This record gives sequence, C-alpha cells and structure tokens, in this order.
Amino acid sequence: MANVLEAKNISVAFGGLLAVNDVSFNIPNKSIVSLIGPNGAGKTTFFNVLTGLYKPSAGNIIFGDRDITDLPPHKIASIGIARTFQNIRLFGLMTAQENLLVAMHSHLKAGITSTILRTKKQRKEESDAEDKAQSILDFAGVGKWTHEFARNLSYGDQRRLEVARALALDPKVLLLDEPTAGMNAQESQVFIEFINKLVAERDIAVMLIEHDMKVVMSLSQRVTVLDQGEKIAEGSPDEIKNNPRVIEAYLGKPKAARK
Amino acid sequence: MAKVSVANNVSKSNRNWIRGYTIAGFFLFITYQFLLPWDGLPSGIYQTVNQWMPPSAVNESLVYVIMALGLNIVVGYAGLLDLGYVAFWAIGGYCAGWFMSEFFYFLNIHFFGSVPAGTPGIHINFWMVLIIGGFVCALFGVLIGAPTLRLKSDYLALVTLGFGEIIPQVFFNGENFFGFNISNGTKGIVVVDPSPAGFKNLGPFDAGWKLLLFLFLTAVMVFISLRLRRGRLGRAWLAVREDELAASMMGVPLMRTKLAAYAVGAFAGGLGGVAFATHVNGVYAERFNFAISIFLLAMVVLGGMGNVWGVILGAFVLSWVNGNGLSAFGRVYNDSFGTSIDFTSFTFLLFGLVLIFMMLFKREGLIPESRMKLLMHEGELDDADSDGKKQKAGK
Amino acid sequence: MAKAAVATKFSGTPGQIRRQRIERIGATAISLGAAFWMLINIIESPDQFAQSAIAGLRNGLIYAMIALGYTLVYGIIELINFAHGDLFMLSAVFSSFFITYWIGADESNGFGWFAFALCLVAVMVFGAVVNVLIERFAYRKLRNAPRLSTLITAVGMSFLLNFIGLKWNGSTPRQWPTVIPSGDIYLGEIRISMLTIWLFLIGFPLLLALNYLVTNTKQGKAMRATSQDKDASTLMGINVNKTIAFTFAIGGAMAGAAGLLYQQSIGTTNYNLGFQLGLIAFTAAVLGGIGNLWGAVLGGLVIGLIQGLNDGLPIAFGQAWSQTVVFTILIIILVFKPAGLLGKVTTEKV
Repeated sequence: MANVLEAKNISVAFGGLLAVNDVSFNIPNKSIVSLIGPNGAGKTTFFNVLTGLYKPSAGNIIFGDRDITDLPPHKIASIGIARTFQNIRLFGLMTAQENLLVAMHSHLKAGITSTILRTKKQRKEESDAEDKAQSILDFAGVGKWTHEFARNLSYGDQRRLEVARALALDPKVLLLDEPTAGMNAQESQVFIEFINKLVAERDIAVMLIEHDMKVVMSLSQRVTVLDQGEKIAEGSPDEIKNNPRVIEAYLGKPKAARK
Repeated sequence: MAKVSVANNVSKSNRNWIRGYTIAGFFLFITYQFLLPWDGLPSGIYQTVNQWMPPSAVNESLVYVIMALGLNIVVGYAGLLDLGYVAFWAIGGYCAGWFMSEFFYFLNIHFFGSVPAGTPGIHINFWMVLIIGGFVCALFGVLIGAPTLRLKSDYLALVTLGFGEIIPQVFFNGENFFGFNISNGTKGIVVVDPSPAGFKNLGPFDAGWKLLLFLFLTAVMVFISLRLRRGRLGRAWLAVREDELAASMMGVPLMRTKLAAYAVGAFAGGLGGVAFATHVNGVYAERFNFAISIFLLAMVVLGGMGNVWGVILGAFVLSWVNGNGLSAFGRVYNDSFGTSIDFTSFTFLLFGLVLIFMMLFKREGLIPESRMKLLMHEGELDDADSDGKKQKAGK
Repeated sequence: MAKAAVATKFSGTPGQIRRQRIERIGATAISLGAAFWMLINIIESPDQFAQSAIAGLRNGLIYAMIALGYTLVYGIIELINFAHGDLFMLSAVFSSFFITYWIGADESNGFGWFAFALCLVAVMVFGAVVNVLIERFAYRKLRNAPRLSTLITAVGMSFLLNFIGLKWNGSTPRQWPTVIPSGDIYLGEIRISMLTIWLFLIGFPLLLALNYLVTNTKQGKAMRATSQDKDASTLMGINVNKTIAFTFAIGGAMAGAAGLLYQQSIGTTNYNLGFQLGLIAFTAAVLGGIGNLWGAVLGGLVIGLIQGLNDGLPIAFGQAWSQTVVFTILIIILVFKPAGLLGKVTTEKV
C-alpha cells in the first residue's frame, strides 16, 4: 500500500533538548495507525511537526509526493492534513456550523468585494458550504447542534464537533490527539465505531495519539511507540503488547537491571 | 443546552436595518435642513438645539462614527488592538488636501472637480477622492501591518501606536520633507474644495446637506461591516480573535486575514479623513494626535466591540460630549451658578473613566455583541495557558 | 525528560535560516549605518558629539529608570502599563510642589540638599503608593480577563493620571527653581554640567539597589517565581497578590525618583510629559529585552544616546524628528528582534 504521509528522520530540538530524536513514520492510505508512549514521550510534539506548527531541526515530511516540511500551518491544513487537539480548541463562541465553515475557509473563494456585494456566486458558495457542513455534522452525530455555540455542547459532543471540524477541511490524513480522553467505556466504544465507519466510507487515513489501550488495540492496524523522543517499537497491536522494551518504558526497568 | 436562542440570534441577519436607518436619517436631515431654519419655529427651540446639538456637531459626530466603525473592524471583529488609528485619518485628510485644493499650485489638473477650470492645483471629484483616500489608507494599512502582524498582540498595539506618532509628525514637519513640501506643515492645507452633491457644491454653510452626505457614508460603512461580518472573511476574523493557533490549524492564513482587517479598517479611516476635511474645509496637522486614537477606541469600547449599532451609539455620544456637549453643559452650569469652571478640560477624565469603568464593570459595552459578552467574561485561564503548562509538565 | 542534544549543529530549516540571514544582514546594515553616521559627526565636530552624547546619556538614565517600571510589571503580569509614564509625570509635578512650595527650597545650598533628600524619599513613597493603588483598584480585578481589556484599562488609567496632572500642573509648561548645583566643569573643550554628574551619582546607586532587591532578597525571589508561574508560586506558599503589589511598588518608586531627577535636571514640568517619555522609556525596555532589568537600563541609555545625538548633532534629522527616530527604532527592533538586545526568545506552546 502506498503511503499518504511519510515523516523521515524527524528531530525536534528546543534549545539543547531533543524532544523528538530521529523518528521516521509512515501512514499508509486508508489506514488507522497509533502513536503511543508515556507522558512526555514527544507524541504531541510530533503532531505539531506534522501540522507545521513546529519546524523540525532535521528530517523531511512528504505528503503524497510533495515535501511539506517548510510549508506554513495553514497551507498544510488546506492541502489535507487536519488535526484535533489534546485540550479541545473549538471556537467556543461560534456556532457548530460556523466552526465548520471556518475550516472550509481555504476551500471557499469569496473575496471582500463579492462578500460586500453578495454576488450570486458568493451566495451559492455559502449555501453549498452550509449544506456540506450540515452533512458533516450529521455524519459526526452532532447534526442537531448546527446553530448552537460550540462551548455549550457537552464534552462528548465537543469532541465529535472537533472531529467534524477537522473533516470539513477535506483531509487525506486526520490526526487525533487523545480523542477519547475523558470518555467512559461506552462513549469510547461509540467513538471506535465512528472512526471505523469514517475510514470505511471516506478516502482518509487516521493517526491517533491515545492512552486508552483498548481503543488503540481495537482500532489500529499498526502501533508506534515513542519514549523520550525516540521510536522504541513499531508493529501490529499484538507485537507491541508483548514487546519487552515497551513494557519497560511504561513500567520502568526491573530493579535488578538498574545500575 | 438551553441557550439555542442566543446562537440563533447571532446567525440571523438584521436585514431590516436599512429601512429604519433611512427613516431616522431622513428625519434628522429634514430637521436640520428645513425645520430649524424655518421662521415659524419658536425661537427658543432654535436656540436650544443650536446650543446643545448644532448641525456641525452632528456632522462631526458622524465623521467619528465612520472612523469608529473602521476601528471596530480591527479591534472588535479581528481582536487586534490598534492605538494609532489617527494615522489613517491623517492620510485620508491629506488625500483630500492634495487632490482637492490649490496646494499643488504649480499644477493644473481638473477631473470633474467642483471649481472653475482655471484654478491652479489638483481638483479631482470629491467622490473619487473618497475612493482614492480609502484605498491609499488601505495600502498604508497593509504596509504598516505586513511587517508587524506576526508580533504578539500587545507589541502590535505598540507598533501601531508608533506609526500613529510617526505619520502625523511627518505631516507636521512636512513643510520641508527632504526638501519637498508635502503638507504645508503647521499652516495646514486650507480651503479644500466644496464637495459636489449633484445639484450644488456644498460649502462651509451647507451643514444640512453635508449631514445627508455623512449619513450616506455611515450607511455605506454599516453595510460593509455587516456584510463582511457574515461572510467568509468575517468568520475567519472571529476565529482568529478567539484562537489564533486553532484558526491557523484549520487552514486560515493568519497574516492575510489580519491584513484584510487592517486594510478594511484603514479604508474607513480614509473615508473619514476625506469627509472630515470637507467638514472643516481644510486639513490641519495639529489635529491628528494620539488622543484621537484613544477617543476612537473609547467609542468602540463604550458602545460594544464588534457590534456596529453599539459602536455608532458610542461614537455619537462620546464625540458629541467631546465636541459640544461638555462645553454646552459648562456654559449652562457656569451661567446658572456663577462659576467659571472650564468643563472642556474634563475630557481626559471623562474618557479615562469611560475606559476604566467599562472594562471593570461592563466589558462588553452598552449594546454588546452576544459573543463578545461571553468572551469578555471568561474568568478561567485560556487554553493556551493551560496547554502550555501541560507541555511543560510533560517534557 | 528528553535528553540533551547530542548533535549541537541544529541550525533550523531552510526557511528559518533564510530569515536568520536576512535578520543578520539587516542588523549589520543598520549598525554599520549608525556607526558611519556617528563617525562623520565625530570627524565633523568632536566637541559637539561628546556634548550631545553626554546630554543624551543623562536623559537615557531617566529613561532607564522609567523603563524599569515597565519591564518589572510586564515581567510579572505581562501588561504594558500605559499609565506608568503618567505616574512619572505626576511624580515630577509632586517633586516640584514638594521642594518649591511645601519645603520652600529654591537654591542649591545645604537646605536645598536637605529638601532634595527629603523629596527623594517622599516622591518614591508617592510613586509606590499611587502605583499600588492603581494595581489594586484597576488591574487586579482584570488579571484573568482577556489581554485586550487590561490594556484598555491601562490606557484609561493613563488618561486619568493625565487629567490629574493637567489640573495640578496647569495646561502650560511650568518653570521651577532647582536645588542641585548648576555650573559646569571642563574636560578639555568638552563642557559637562555638574547636574549631569550629580544625576549619575544619585541615579546609578538607585539602579544598583533595585537590582540587589530583585536578585538577592526573598521578595525578589518571590517576584521571579511569580513571573514564571503564578499557580505554582501560590502552591509554594508565595502570596501572589502581595508580590505583584510589591512589584508595582518598586516600579512606582523608580518612576518617582525618575520624576524628581527629571524635574531637577530640566526645570520644567508639563502635564503631557508622561505620554512621550513613557513611550520612549517603553521603547527602551523593549530594546533591552522586556522583562530583563539590565536590558532596560542598557536600552534606556542607548535610546537616550541616539536621541541626544540626533537632537544635537550637525548632521542628523534634528529635534523635530525626535519622536520619529525613536519610534522607528522601536518598530525596527520589534520586527527584527522582538526579544530585544538582552532578552530571550519565547515560543508558544501547544
């Protein structure tokens, strides 16, 4: 299977600290992959590099056949890499619909003059965008909240709305940063089904950062483990479960082995 | 989850404003143009109105309204603090000075101007100068914004303030700007051409007709503000105001979006500058000072950032107080109590208190925009802070 | 914890390198231009150069003292305290009234020095108290409000103080007798006024004392802790409100002392003085790297020097363009090196 996104030998340095050290990572088309690791392993930093927020100090990111390492964040978003945030970062004082319309910004064309004059083209574009937003909201299960301020939604609905907003970008790759954080078992199950449905119905690949191992194991085709900024393991969920280095990273070394 | 109505109000357009506005404007115009000069009116009414609300004060207030609406796009919509808005007023004013007067006496360029063809200087039609002034200001807005918009918000405020000091100083010293006279310095450019209103040229005494003209310009700004607000750009502004980082992650180009806010805001400054030049029939360098930028900011804050109707109210009230209300009140007070208090010197106190008390007790303004009200009362740490902490703790 | 970088060759992506290079070229060009300008002037008229430089540095010392207030407050609550310049103005007016009317000293003799010393203490207390009151009644309530509203409040406060100055001082500049000995001494051809020497003798120890206060005392440590992380400081038993008030107090005291020194060196006060000097001082704070104490001092001296040279030299823009020169420096610094001369770069975390 071809890869939609390839990160090659990424390193990120903050001053003298290497937050991510020489990590390579591929996301195949229409796949679900996971990035796990203990707190502070550099997972979110890695996401931030993929979305252009941090620039890597070494390495390249190839999207399709294009090197996107140097592109600014909004360009990366508009060509098809969308993300959600660890702490939900919706536009709380905008309605659910407006949140999605903002994400469609780069796909819409209306300029200042056509907006002021409200040309026929601009009106059509707006109503088409609204229809599309509604269909995505429905798909994500928050269709009844179209005209509700995002901040008034329940926690679970906010998570869903954030995914919907990311989907409004028409992404090829969807990066989800701890999407089930704070969800109970039942909600997580609903979420797992939602992601499976998403990948089945759309031409999209999903990458997860996740602490809930049940979610990770039941969703992902491949799991990558980061520890202290380095990739320590990669493989199918079953391989990872039994990998001694992974267990060590999570639980610490046995006492005898310490120096 | 019962607040659906609030959000519905936000997305509903207020299309009906044009009718109400036209009626109110027409009423104002009739009053000042025909009713007040009418002989049959009891003279007491005429004098009272002239003391408290002379036509020139109404006109000046409207000029402030136009500019406050422009500043509202920058501060209210996009959430960028601009402390040097007076620069655009000055540039707009000098556009009128350059293109509608005898200032360039060695030239003789006429383009549908309102003066006889033999007059020296550049005389371009008022309506075209309006547009020129608007676009020159928009250009300057972009020039000022481009290198500075990547700065943190309060540094940006400072840079705008710097430009707001530099540009008026350039005009102030402009009598000898590297050997060229670009502004006539402190003497100012006096006698700007009358503005043609189709059937007659509006001189210094046609306050009533000018009122109509300024009402029209205000309506144009309201129209632009409301339309942009509901479109693609307006949404991007709101998103940037709320969470810059998330907006950029959703494909909103920050620089371009902010620059657009700057340009549109500056455009209004240009309109206001040209309008003001025709209102006072001249351009005077010393009028463009820092206090004006703060007055405009106070108007936006008092009325309600982000809400055009609030801003109109704020601008109207404060510019009236500043221009006429305070001195009229002072005259009446001093006459009736035999005192001689200089009430106009209380402007600073008044504007300072308006800013402080509005921020302390009614941050969202008199006529708040529903979202701004919520935004301004967010007590908790914002996401960036708590996020930052998580990261720090994580690493 | 991530490991320390093994390879220290990190230089950034091509885009960053390009930007860095542009910045470096720009900075070099600007410094060379400034050096060239100074050089011609030195050749042209060395005496005038030295004199303008000394006058500039004298102003620079006052800018530095005001700039410290900006930098301290910004360092701890990230607020550009617009009212700070006006506090300085009020202090200058206060000093004038204190020495001339309330004590009644109007020449430089023993009594004059006594009045000066008394006034120095009084005006520092005055500045500190006013600044703490401003913090207590205007800024504290807004500590968790959006940045924009605190900044607007500060602007409003500036107007309010301006009004008090207007009523106290009057709307026109006011002349005052000074109690610091005037007279000049000569170093070869170069004339240095005694005033300048006294100013440095009084001002510099104050700066040193402040630095000691912030770096070596318990309160100072609490200040630095609070500026890094308010919540954590609270957990560590630091009284955040008290610490912030303390910061405003010492910033205000410095502004008070600066007001006295300004009034004594220039001899006039005006109600709108605070706005201009405040802005220049803030520029100085930014130039030095906001939040950095010695940065503010350095920035103040540099700005004062440049302004002095611009105003006094034969080949320069002259006094009419003073503001323009200062603000152009501000804009160039903010655009090319927002962290300032001695500041550290900060990045936003996600």
